[in-house]
Amino acid sequence: MAMVTLDDISLRQHTLHTLPRLAVLRQEALRRKPEICIERARHITRYLRFHDDPDDCPEVRRAKMIRYFLERKRARFHDNNLIAGSTTGKPLGAPLFPEFFALYLWPELEVVSRRKKNPQHLSARDADELNFEIFPFWMENNVIEVTRRRYGNPRCLQLFEKLVFFIASKAGCISHCVPWYRTMLEQGLTGIMEEAAARERLAAGRSAARQADFYRAVQIALQGIVSHARSLAYEADRLAGTSGDPGMREEYGIMADICRRVPAGPAATFREAVNAIWLCQVGIHAENINMAMSPGRLDQVLYPWYRRDIDEGRLDVARAIELVGCLWLKIADNVTMVPETSEEMFGGAGTVPAITLGGVDADGNDAVNDLTYIMLRVTELLRIRDPNVNARYDYAKNTKSYCRRVARVILNTRAVPAFYNDHANITALLGQGEKPEHARDYAIVGCVELASSGRDYPASSSIMLNLAAPMQMALFRGRRPITGEEQIGPRTPDPAGLGSFEEFWQVFLVQLDWLIDQAVQLNEYMGTVHQEMLPSPLLSALFEGPMDRGRDLIRGGALYNSSGATHIGFADVVDSLNAIEQAVFVDGRYSFAELLAGVRSDFAGPTGEAMRLYLRRTPRFGTEHPLARRNARNLVQHLFTRYQSFTNYRGGPYRPSYWTMTNHAGLGAVSGALPSGRRAGRVFASGITPVSGAAPALTACLNTVAELGGEQVPGGWALNIKYTPEADRTVMAARFADTIEAYFRAGGHQVQFNIMTYEDLMDARDHPEKYPDLLVRVSGYSAYFNDLNERMQEELITRTQYDLTGGHAVPLPPEAGGA
Amino acid sequence: MDDPVPGSMERELWQRFRNCFESGLAEDFLQILLALMAVMFGLDRDYRRNIDRFSGRYQFRSEDGRIRVAALFADGRMQVVEGEIEDPHITVIFRNSRSLLNFLISPRQDILGAMLRHEVRTEGNLNYLNKFGYMAKHLQLMMPRP
Repeated sequence: MAMVTLDDISLRQHTLHTLPRLAVLRQEALRRKPEICIERARHITRYLRFHDDPDDCPEVRRAKMIRYFLERKRARFHDNNLIAGSTTGKPLGAPLFPEFFALYLWPELEVVSRRKKNPQHLSARDADELNFEIFPFWMENNVIEVTRRRYGNPRCLQLFEKLVFFIASKAGCISHCVPWYRTMLEQGLTGIMEEAAARERLAAGRSAARQADFYRAVQIALQGIVSHARSLAYEADRLAGTSGDPGMREEYGIMADICRRVPAGPAATFREAVNAIWLCQVGIHAENINMAMSPGRLDQVLYPWYRRDIDEGRLDVARAIELVGCLWLKIADNVTMVPETSEEMFGGAGTVPAITLGGVDADGNDAVNDLTYIMLRVTELLRIRDPNVNARYDYAKNTKSYCRRVARVILNTRAVPAFYNDHANITALLGQGEKPEHARDYAIVGCVELASSGRDYPASSSIMLNLAAPMQMALFRGRRPITGEEQIGPRTPDPAGLGSFEEFWQVFLVQLDWLIDQAVQLNEYMGTVHQEMLPSPLLSALFEGPMDRGRDLIRGGALYNSSGATHIGFADVVDSLNAIEQAVFVDGRYSFAELLAGVRSDFAGPTGEAMRLYLRRTPRFGTEHPLARRNARNLVQHLFTRYQSFTNYRGGPYRPSYWTMTNHAGLGAVSGALPSGRRAGRVFASGITPVSGAAPALTACLNTVAELGGEQVPGGWALNIKYTPEADRTVMAARFADTIEAYFRAGGHQVQFNIMTYEDLMDARDHPEKYPDLLVRVSGYSAYFNDLNERMQEELITRTQYDLTGGHAVPLPPEAGGA
Repeated sequence: MDDPVPGSMERELWQRFRNCFESGLAEDFLQILLALMAVMFGLDRDYRRNIDRFSGRYQFRSEDGRIRVAALFADGRMQVVEGEIEDPHITVIFRNSRSLLNFLISPRQDILGAMLRHEVRTEGNLNYLNKFGYMAKHLQLMMPRP
């Protein structure tokens, strides 16, 4: 049966004028200021202080805590959205998770509401409750402190706390995964609970206490969601009787009925299915932090309900768009709590719940359907930061018209969705031992990471490693200028005495591997702490594997159990390797000692500047120079081999990836000069993107990045490209789509765009009032330009801008730092 | 506390505390901060609530070793001790007093920058520093208008 039946896949007759509810909800959403919500922190702290039973196993303790919260979570309807349920008690809430980083807000409890950048409102009463009641309980009990106590303040934890070597995300989250909702939609949570109860009886019968406990925990946690749905039904009923808006009275009545049926029972209609998924997302956020909990392939998951309702006349396209739009706005109802201290690193980021569209199905057939186009249209109309929408494309199976439609949406939104190559990504997952049908059913997690939907618990942001650190440690015998005389890594030979580039490469690898070892060690420690502190029975119930194995996700219950490690400063470090090889060992223009002196002095004085200008002309990543291509390839190869040599605490491998969020700006700002000629304090290039200005030809840029793809990048990458907008969008969309296809055929995994000029972004920086909701792609996610810190804005401005027509880089204007 | 003129020590401390912000001279910022904190815990019941059931041992040390001072909180009281203490919950090592001021309470506060640039380092449980940061910030907000 044809899955695309729409007469017009662009759905252009459906606009915000014809969809007034979405227009109003969007305006309200864009106007909202974030408010810190302490509801969850309050209830889980009370539970642990007064009701927790330490004799229960960790899974059951956690499940009871989640149920306790969900039973008490207030049912709220903040606006005229057609979907019931909210992640927090605020219209745009920043929930607090004291198990992780919430206590970093403590110093600014009284000023966070009025801080200059991205204030988050907190009432004085809530601030008092946090200060006197909630935070004191967690002082010794968050993940970092439990890890410190349990492992005796290990060296790897101390390194992490220096912040400039690697980031261990487990200190901040259990997250970054894609549940599988089809079972829930078909059986309801009651069906899953009945299965868990039956399995619990079987496990108890064979004295498998641990498994029995897990199944009990699943039932307890899911009861929490069902309870909250019931609360929503009562509240919707109340509003149905009191609302002054006749239309909304009817809608509240419908929502009350829906919440009585789902997610407890199977979804009968498209609207029920959409609301059931959302209520499960609310439950997931009750259990775990709102960080990249990605709904996945919703065009596939929801399609049977959509099709049936359309075929049976219960639904039309306009109503489907409205419901999907309501879901998008619900998904965007929360932000992360960001202390001022983290604004430099993560400022402006959303919560990055990724939705994946299109591509092929588990059998390898074209999976694009009417819902794919409806979701693309909603993305195009709403132009909001979250959800993070991603379009898969199989150039052999998907139609050209689909590719062009995605390209057109990107041109119209100027930023979203990101594009993913099915061939490269499926190949990468097959290389990780995933079954073909599982690899084909991959979805994007958070920024750009890959996971088989509901089968893969990838903890994909476990490690964020700063590659400039081992480069500097190789230059300075295991030390870094920023950490002074402290011996950080192994004391490797002075590079001034090395006789070949190969010898330096080996020194670099010694430092790199040592740092990876530290990062992995800490991830293992924290993973073990998570297993005791933070089992996730609710999330586990929505995955394939835990129910069969009787084991929680964080104990290795999923079918696939990897950990992700992403890298910051990739292009800058490749360019540094290139510069060292060319300057010292090929040209002999400078001795290594002279180069080191130049780097130490940040290329001071006329001699230093001459050296820097020369270094900037050495082979650069993003060009077709063989030396640059080889060094990039070797680094990717080495990282892949090294990470894959580890087995994590859940029995899975480590997967390298290349995305940076905003860390390339924050870490670049505090990193010293590099042999590439990069001055101290300059931002690093984002993701796997070449350094700004280094790759003048678009085709060479795309090809040299693309050739790094395949099995060696199982975690995914973020390539940022900026295109000059053109007047004729139809023509541009066609050329755009052709370029994508060529890049994908060359092996590229992913690419994301900003369709704007240097001047557009400079104007947005200088006149923020003119661009209140300018959406930009950062490195794997979208942000509102005005929310980004100055450094990140500069990075976006100076990113290489290409003219798609000629395929060449547009020179950076002098006022933006160009020559 | 011997105070021949009631409130004069408090006023002087507030004045010196204010000077730290306004003049940019922060040489004895830490000593002033700790002394003022101790005084205000004694005088202000609401402020004292912060340490009512709190036990914490803080060691502060300048990088050059010239400043070594500890703050001990127990039984609703604060004690300032010159020198080193055993088993601090957290040790804060700072490059200079200005760095510490910027780190804790400056209006141009740059906590992450200070840590990333290693102007301020810590050893131990950061949550104790978070709590201390709150108490210091609260003190700043209590500062009388000139």
